[in-house]
Amino acid sequence: MSEHPYAFLALFLAVALAFPLVLLAVSQLWFRFFQPPKPSASKNDVYECGVASTGDSWIQFKPHYYLYAILFLIFDVEILFLLPFAVAFTGLPTGALVTMLVFVLLLAEGLVWAWRRGHLEWR
Amino acid sequence: MTTNYPELFCAFAGEASLVLGMLVVLGYDLTVGRKRSPTERWQASCILGGAALFSALVVGLRVGVVGPVLGGEFMLDALGVGTRAAVLVLAGLTLMLTAGTARLRNPAEFVAIVLLAATGFSLMAVAQQLLVAFLALELASLSLYVLAGFDKTRPESAEAALKYFLFGGMSAAFLLFGFSLLYGLTGSIDTSAIAAALAAQGSSPLLSVALVMVLVAFGFKAAAAPFHLWAPDVYQGAPATSAALIASASKLAGLTFFVRLLWPGLGYATGDVALRHFSPGWLAVVALLSAASLLVGNFGALAQSNLRRLLAYSAIAHAGALLLGVMAAGTAGPAPLYFYAATYGLATVGAFGVVAVLEAAGVGPQIADLAGLYRRSPLLAGCLFIFILSLAGIPPLAGFFGKFAVFAAALNFGGLASVTGWLAFAAIFLSAVALYYYLRVLKQALVAPPAPGADGRIAVPGAAALALLLAALLLVVLGVFPSLLLQIFS
Repeated sequence: MSEHPYAFLALFLAVALAFPLVLLAVSQLWFRFFQPPKPSASKNDVYECGVASTGDSWIQFKPHYYLYAILFLIFDVEILFLLPFAVAFTGLPTGALVTMLVFVLLLAEGLVWAWRRGHLEWR
Repeated sequence: MTTNYPELFCAFAGEASLVLGMLVVLGYDLTVGRKRSPTERWQASCILGGAALFSALVVGLRVGVVGPVLGGEFMLDALGVGTRAAVLVLAGLTLMLTAGTARLRNPAEFVAIVLLAATGFSLMAVAQQLLVAFLALELASLSLYVLAGFDKTRPESAEAALKYFLFGGMSAAFLLFGFSLLYGLTGSIDTSAIAAALAAQGSSPLLSVALVMVLVAFGFKAAAAPFHLWAPDVYQGAPATSAALIASASKLAGLTFFVRLLWPGLGYATGDVALRHFSPGWLAVVALLSAASLLVGNFGALAQSNLRRLLAYSAIAHAGALLLGVMAAGTAGPAPLYFYAATYGLATVGAFGVVAVLEAAGVGPQIADLAGLYRRSPLLAGCLFIFILSLAGIPPLAGFFGKFAVFAAALNFGGLASVTGWLAFAAIFLSAVALYYYLRVLKQALVAPPAPGADGRIAVPGAAALALLLAALLLVVLGVFPSLLLQIFS
């Protein structure tokens, strides 16, 4: 046990600060000496995987996707907990089965709720 | 390890009935409620939610004080059972107030989230293992963020929700980091095992870091200065009944959670705040938080012209006194703290209830708008009189006895010439400051004549009137017979 058990943290901090700063400085130098900016129309174009670009990249899109993301979580969390349950299924008491059914019921009600409220309709 | 499911279900039948009630409320609204009017949906949701809360209360009290459950992961002691009952009563009062005053969309969702928050509070009250406690805290917090932003028609509500969420998320991160450091130090997430390991290894720099992290989250939850910045904006912007729940039940459950963690769990890291032999520990930090809250809350409230913001600063000042109770719990036990927090919750729910009824009637949130309330609605003025005087700590109301018990315990804790003794004296002197801003509200409501053009009667919905009367009655009865509540601790 050394005298200062947390001294290595200071070293970590110094390295963690120096590492990105050095990289940024090197790239800045490279940019300055070897790669002067030469903008052109095709260079400033929207990236379209080699296809000729159509229109601006600043378009409006519907934020409704967040509802689908949330609903996806229902199934995501469900599988996360059901998988270990299924693996250990044969060794579990009745109480575990009931608990798991209640858990699935809670998640199912979430889906039913979204369905009946019409959140699955794409508007 | 095999889980004892019958034992688990017996101990948590109350929480189970809350979750079941939530499913029933949502299910009703999705099937029968679709064809009803909004008012009928509100009433039906609140009645179903109230029934779930009531059954949880009855079941929880029938389980009673049984000691540790599930190998010490939960602790059903007097503090836990008392806090559980109190948060359910506070949530019930909130629902009654909501039933009469809410003009929001989505009634079933509001009630369901109140029930989820109540489940979280109720688990926070009894959880003793760090991970379970953190999950309970997050369940309650996430529900409260949603409730704060429930009024989609007002931008203030969204602002309140966002501020509350960002502050809350940050403090949860601090708490989790503190817990992970505690786990790293002691190798356990069980409070009693942590206590034993800390007793064996003594203090270390890492322990100080862990303590500070945990106390940051504590300061946020209790709205203690300097972590109070969210409180005025949230209390002002959130729907009135959401603010009532945030100010009352959330605070009580948070204090129970932390007093359970700090004294039995981190009891070996208390340090000493006596002058002669000062040693660092969490007591010194809590004393600083308490002093800052007393000063910021009481002097900040002097400058407020909005009733909700005034209640927020008064909440910060009360947080200072409650932290004094947390420190004094070392010798006096949690009873004074619990009594103070529970009766403070009742008075705050009542005061926000009056605000909710007034706002539903279109009476603005400024203190000046209260002018002539005694003529416009004697019931509201009378109830406000009791709530505000209880907050100020005037006998014979319950707020007085709570303050008296906490200050007496604080003086006993370290004697007169200790930091806790000084803080108790400071709190007593600042109560005089507090009396000024509380009486300013009462003067508007009870003495000032109604403004011309704003002197019509204010109708009080039946359910809200009942809730206000019930809260006022409880404050008077508990002030005269505090032993009714304190007998569970003996």
